[in-house]
Amino acid sequence: MSSTLLSTQGLVARYGDFQALYGIDFEISEGEVVALIGANGAGKSTLLKSIMGLLRVAPEMVRLDGRPVGGSKPNRMVSDGVAIVPEGRRLFTGMSVVDNLRVAIDHAAVPRGTAWTLDRVFELFPILREKQAVPVQSLSGGQQQMVAIGRALLNQPRLLLCDEISLGLAPKVVKEIYRAIPSISANGTAIILVEQDVGLARSASNRLYCMLEGRVSLTGRSQDISREVIGAAYFGGAHAVA
Amino acid sequence: MQWLDGLVQGVLLGGLYAQYALGMALMFGVMRIVNITHGDLMILLALTGISLAATFALGPWTVLMVLVALGAILGLLLQRLILNRVVGADPLPSLIATFGLSVALQNAMLQVWSADTRSLGGGDIAQASFQLGTLYVGVLPVIVLATATLLTGGLDATLRYTRFGRSLRAASADVEAAAMTGVNPKGVYAGATAVAVAILGFAAVFQSMRATVAPADGPFQLIYAFEAVIIGGMGSIWGAFLGAMVLGISQSIGFRIDPGFGILAGHLVFLLILALRPQGLLGKD
Amino acid sequence: MTDALAAASTTTFDGPRVRVQRRTTSSIVALILSVVVLVAVASMPLWASQGLIRDIVRLCCYIAIAQMWNMLAGYAGIVSVGQQAFVGVAAYMMFIIAQLWGVDPFVAVVLAMIAPALLAIPTYGLLHRLDGPYFAIGTWVIAEVMRLATSNFGYVNAGAGMSLRVMTGYSATERAVGISLLAALMLLVTVGGSYWLLRSRYGLALIAMRDNPIAAASQGVNVSRLRFLIWVAAAVGTGLAGAIYFMAQLRITPPSAYDPNWANIAIFIVMVGGLGSLEGVIIGALIYFFADRWFGQYGATYLVVLGLLTLFMALFARGGIWGLICKVVDAPWFPTRRTLVEERQ
Repeated sequence: MSSTLLSTQGLVARYGDFQALYGIDFEISEGEVVALIGANGAGKSTLLKSIMGLLRVAPEMVRLDGRPVGGSKPNRMVSDGVAIVPEGRRLFTGMSVVDNLRVAIDHAAVPRGTAWTLDRVFELFPILREKQAVPVQSLSGGQQQMVAIGRALLNQPRLLLCDEISLGLAPKVVKEIYRAIPSISANGTAIILVEQDVGLARSASNRLYCMLEGRVSLTGRSQDISREVIGAAYFGGAHAVA
Repeated sequence: MQWLDGLVQGVLLGGLYAQYALGMALMFGVMRIVNITHGDLMILLALTGISLAATFALGPWTVLMVLVALGAILGLLLQRLILNRVVGADPLPSLIATFGLSVALQNAMLQVWSADTRSLGGGDIAQASFQLGTLYVGVLPVIVLATATLLTGGLDATLRYTRFGRSLRAASADVEAAAMTGVNPKGVYAGATAVAVAILGFAAVFQSMRATVAPADGPFQLIYAFEAVIIGGMGSIWGAFLGAMVLGISQSIGFRIDPGFGILAGHLVFLLILALRPQGLLGKD
Repeated sequence: MTDALAAASTTTFDGPRVRVQRRTTSSIVALILSVVVLVAVASMPLWASQGLIRDIVRLCCYIAIAQMWNMLAGYAGIVSVGQQAFVGVAAYMMFIIAQLWGVDPFVAVVLAMIAPALLAIPTYGLLHRLDGPYFAIGTWVIAEVMRLATSNFGYVNAGAGMSLRVMTGYSATERAVGISLLAALMLLVTVGGSYWLLRSRYGLALIAMRDNPIAAASQGVNVSRLRFLIWVAAAVGTGLAGAIYFMAQLRITPPSAYDPNWANIAIFIVMVGGLGSLEGVIIGALIYFFADRWFGQYGATYLVVLGLLTLFMALFARGGIWGLICKVVDAPWFPTRRTLVEERQ
């Protein structure tokens, strides 16, 4: 794991009057897989949104290759090599699978390493090749998630943000989707995984951050942290003592 | 015979209405905005074209090219200066902003061009006609219909098969997700508005060649465009075309029943469709 | 309301006792002023010239129509650009009842209100299927249909229009008294009625609906029914103004009755004065009235300025002039807001 790809320093974000993040320090290196865990409302999705430019933050709070990029428009972030698999998938209803993917190809960043192509996405998720002409809204949840991941990959990201990609899917489908993670990071792509399932998050990542009420409550190498320590950081002080 | 003639004339009239309706369907589909100046912009382009033709002795086809280019520029300006600030979930700001602009534009045109009706000399083509069975059909209306068909087909293909079209469809499905996939929403909106107003350049030339234009006519063209879009089914380009045909035929048949009933018949058919098939002829439930 | 809250506060926690307060010093002043204005309008024949009475009646009509539009756009979230449909249909109905059926014109004004109500019901049924901005243009179509239908309707003398000759049965003074009383009644019904509605238990629902219709619906506000009721009520209020206006004019034609300018005036007044407040409507109406008197002679140029001003307000100052005033001083004339005040024990 070489140089830092993206970092946040003292990241503060708010929705109107409600402050959601209180000074987050976070970093990820090229090719690394970092998991973000934490209870509902801990600020995981907010952190991704702030990185992606969906929430207003000060420029120097988010740095990409050391450059301040906080608050850049999402489409700018995409051309700088950051792509997202958004929560709830957010596919383009009414368009076919392949047209959904083509929108990403149309607006891809300059690829580093081996470029993602439609063929490579179809190798990763073979079912999509069969369904490519089908309108996305008629796919199953798991298939839609594959389209969402494929779409983000075709943006040729150096950093891929995955927001709860296992949410609402059957265990078998979740396994199938997580099987794709190593082949994505093999490309040199760094991945941030926001995940509710702590076990899954630990096994799929190199490092993890645990968030609690808008702050980072724990960080370290995924394999070195015990379940008990995670539990304490996950639920907060009172539980940690108990 | 009278009715068959009414039907044919109605379809030809529908060709003109389709040219008003396409841009409106496009803008509403992408931005959920109804631009109340839609008709006024067409009139502005038409009056500008008539003045240009008179001043520089331009032929109608040269005027057409100038107006399409001018329309695209006007569209970009409209988007940059006004619509950009009012795009959003709440329909009120965009309606009121364009409503105010519409009042201002109509009266400004009244100052510049006075209330007189004007038209654009089309040379021989404007008068030419040919016989089809027992009917006489004007050459110009057929050109208008053919142009409308080509514009509709072209716009539909653009939406289906081009990068710009995919971006438009993505933005109209979910603008934030489109931005997260790299689409620049402002660029897409600017493009949609430019195309919509550029199409009005065609409508402006044909309207002023076929009939007349006056500064206060804009709201009527807006209403025809709107009725065509709703009759055909929101969000469908060919729907807008079909709706324009239905509207043209209704007005033309109504006019033959009683000259005072023509426009009203169009409105009534619109209300009837709204009552019986609110999603429009081609709309999905 | 006060009791319930106070009770809740004592049973659930030992917090301070609170009561709900809406009255403010400025509101008491405004209330007294409102009564003075109403009495003044009603008693115009005693102190005003014929010309002044005509002007004040016109101003009252503007206030009424604008306030009805304000209820629609500012609270019910309905944008209409076709309010002239109700102006025209009510005025024409009044002419029919009075001139053709021989009913006393002053009674006819009230009876004619059935027409805008009857038009509003199916109109809503048809148009509410349309998405927000398309609803607005739909209202315009309705107004056009009414104008064209009236122009073709021989019973009301088609495009040539009608005169209210029965008014000659009254002397000039009697007419002035009748019109003044009607104008005062109209202000009471439209402005007073709106204020009463906003302060009633529906008022909270309306304000909730204005701020966020989806959240309001989830809190048990029947948004669609409330919208419908306001739509019909606004149609009647607008119609009342139309009937009174054309009674004062004594003459009606389809283009004047269904003039799109009615909607322009309402929108201008509300957007410049301040959307979603009674104060804004009054400010806007006064501005429009005087602007029209002073600059109306410039015709088209003046309307260009009005249009651009509306555009400017929609872009940069959605709250209108009243919104700007509120940023500086907080002294509502017609408070609809409830303030919790801690009671000293």
